[in-house]
Amino acid sequence: MRFLYLVLAALVSGVVVGRYLGPDFGNAYELVLYLLIFLIGLDLGMNFKMADLKKVGKSALLMPFLTIIGSLLGALVASLVLGVPLKWGLAIGAGCGWYSLTGPLIAQYSVVYGAVGFLANLIREILTILLYPVLAGKIGPRKAVVIGGATTMDTTLPIIARFGGREVALVAFVHGFVLTAVVPFLVPLILSLFDY
Amino acid sequence: MQIFIPLLAGIVAGYLLRRLGKRPNLSPVTNAVLLIMIFLLGVKTGEVKVEGLWLLSVSLVFAILTIAGSLLMVVRA
Repeated sequence: MRFLYLVLAALVSGVVVGRYLGPDFGNAYELVLYLLIFLIGLDLGMNFKMADLKKVGKSALLMPFLTIIGSLLGALVASLVLGVPLKWGLAIGAGCGWYSLTGPLIAQYSVVYGAVGFLANLIREILTILLYPVLAGKIGPRKAVVIGGATTMDTTLPIIARFGGREVALVAFVHGFVLTAVVPFLVPLILSLFDY
Repeated sequence: MQIFIPLLAGIVAGYLLRRLGKRPNLSPVTNAVLLIMIFLLGVKTGEVKVEGLWLLSVSLVFAILTIAGSLLMVVRA
């Protein structure tokens, strides 16, 4: 639990610094992310056994599709509740946490909904960092992976590995990998289907 | 896709360390780097210019309901 408080403190202090000081860290975020991914790979390489891969099984391949369907259903409800046109709402939901892709894709057609697409998916990523440790304890570390969407192969993978363990990190990576392959096709598809 | 490069490099390096019989404790350095990454994510979030409460509240509702939808699907499956 102590580490979770450190995570919260890091996030809040980062937001405060970003909001009021606006420092230019260049591509430090990407570099630190790559370092973390390297460390995760190092840990996998030191401890991975083929038996672990077999444990990932079919459920790891089914989970990304449950994540997408659930995200689209959630976005459908949000659209109906907020009065947001389905075209934009479903495209935002189809982003599955990939804010840097979803925002610009939607912004090609609508700047306002592009901003919502960016922020909603960014918030999903932040909520994953905050909620995964709690949800992993309540519904299980494997099932809780779905909240991270496409981010579970990179940005939220460290927190999942930290609180879910090595085996769940493998599930999370496969989950994120499948979504990362699907989302770039799904968001434009939805935007074109509803192109009226 | 660039994410595969450090991941594969790490797996190979980890495998080589295992073959050499060396298993350093990665937890302290991983935790430290994770906290730095979260801080930088916070900085990025703080820099987003939110134009009004509407944008923030609509985004928050979408984030919560898409998470809830995914959770519902996996819990019921």
